[in-house]
Amino acid sequence: MSLIVTLIFLSSGLFLGWSMGANDASNAFGTAVATRMIRFSTAAFLCSVFVIIGAVTSGAGAAEGLGQLGAINALPGAFTAALAAAVTVAWMSKVGLPASTSQAVVGSIIGWNLFSGSPTDLATLRRIVATWAISPVLGAIFAMVLYKLLLEWIRLRQPHLLVLDRNTRTGLLLAGIFGSYAIGANGIGNVMGFFVEASPFRDVAVGRFSVSSVEQLFLIGAIAVAVGVYTYSRRVMMTVGDGLLALSPLAAFVVVVSHSLVLFLFSSTALESLLAGLGLPTIPLLPVSGSQAVIGSVLGIGLLQGLKGVRQIRWRVLGGIASGWVTTPLIAAVIGFVLLFVVQNVFGQEVYLPHQPG
Amino acid sequence: MQERREGGPVSSETPPLFGKTRFLVGLIDEFLDKISEGVIIVEMGIRAYLIAHEESEICLEKLNQIIEVKSRCSELRRTIVTMLYTEMLLPDARGDVLQLLGSLFELLDEMGDNYQELMIVQPRGLPEFGQDFADLTGMAIRSVQAVVVAARTFFRMPAAVREHINEVRVFEDESDKIAWRLKRRIFAAELSFEQRFQLREAVVMIDSMADKAENIGDDLSIFAIKRSL
Repeated sequence: MSLIVTLIFLSSGLFLGWSMGANDASNAFGTAVATRMIRFSTAAFLCSVFVIIGAVTSGAGAAEGLGQLGAINALPGAFTAALAAAVTVAWMSKVGLPASTSQAVVGSIIGWNLFSGSPTDLATLRRIVATWAISPVLGAIFAMVLYKLLLEWIRLRQPHLLVLDRNTRTGLLLAGIFGSYAIGANGIGNVMGFFVEASPFRDVAVGRFSVSSVEQLFLIGAIAVAVGVYTYSRRVMMTVGDGLLALSPLAAFVVVVSHSLVLFLFSSTALESLLAGLGLPTIPLLPVSGSQAVIGSVLGIGLLQGLKGVRQIRWRVLGGIASGWVTTPLIAAVIGFVLLFVVQNVFGQEVYLPHQPG
Repeated sequence: MQERREGGPVSSETPPLFGKTRFLVGLIDEFLDKISEGVIIVEMGIRAYLIAHEESEICLEKLNQIIEVKSRCSELRRTIVTMLYTEMLLPDARGDVLQLLGSLFELLDEMGDNYQELMIVQPRGLPEFGQDFADLTGMAIRSVQAVVVAARTFFRMPAAVREHINEVRVFEDESDKIAWRLKRRIFAAELSFEQRFQLREAVVMIDSMADKAENIGDDLSIFAIKRSL
């Protein structure tokens, strides 16, 4: 397959990567930029660099999780599924409905499974759906515990307003870096997970170093994410700051750390082997929605403030977000199914390879 | 910090490349120290005038000291404002901090002006009401000192500001009562129209310090609520 054809097929993944960069960067640095604690240029640079590092060094874990759900075995099929997810995210964002990239991806894979007659691994699907419920809850718990601990620390230490400001700024910067790394490690599975089975690249070995085809895929995907961060994330970042609840810089810091912790839990192969080594139950390595973790964390901080915080939460906005969590995978599955039909029957592309018996 | 206070103005120095936060914390602390110092000087000056019933050497010395303190406070405030903006510090509380420092400076400025006014007008008939004026001055000054303590607390323990604000209100209330009583005594006394109005003006000037402190306290309580975590 020529390079140009390969790139055309990859373009939908890159489009998905771009839209993820535009949206998900706000989960790592949105609150920091919106509260004017960190400049956008600084945030965009750090986010891009650490998304790439996270994707290339730790992206494999979460991508394998998606592979278990449905192995798209033909490049045109991967192209169409990624396009369906990207179109869903873009369309839902356009009409003002909050969208989650990972949910759109899961929906489009199920669309491909239905179209190709491949079985959907229900156990994996159940685990993924469970993370959609667990990640906001975990985010809320992490945020509540962290915020409480921080308040206690501030009460005991009584730092000067300016010292607290400096520490919060440094914390936001580090948490943003950690969040960007987690977005790269966990989110790259959403962007390039489609193409893992049908990767057009070959492993490259230079001396003692070798770069696998998957790492090459992830690098390209991460660059697309970085372009999304630089070109379109500013507006999203500015709206994240007070979309659901007006946050203080300190609360913003807690939200970013909680979000990153949730993403890290679901993508760290090192943590998985550590838990397995200790004989403890492991956490499934699956791409979870960063936005869900952020929403959960914000809610956690709101709930921690009691009735006052509950009143301040914009419940209508939350209702819209929750409805998006249900509709996104469904819409992506339907669009995926329709697009696969069009690509197969109108453009004459083989969107799946027939299963070999035995 | 001590070196800076003794060794001349800080604001003329270039902020260090590292440790800007500590430098700025030092400037704010010094600003609040200078405000406290100014308040004490004004009190000493007024008390010296009440004892001497005329413009004594101590009174003039205190006047010069107030002018010096005001000048230093003004310089510090300008440096703090510039640094807060150029270093993009405290994006969420910058406006409140600047308003607080501005109000405190205005308070000291007004106190200095009032003291100067007292030196210029030199109201006659003061000896008769000396103790009442001393009481009024004491209460008004306590109100101002409480608001300076509240401002200092705001930077470290916003939740504790409320207690100090309450003190400011109590002192201001007492100050109003003394002022009312004093005005009634002045107008009940056998004094000329000119003397009555000069003394009344002096009462209003001193009592206005407490009023101004209460206004700052009200603003400060809002800033503290905004900062409460």
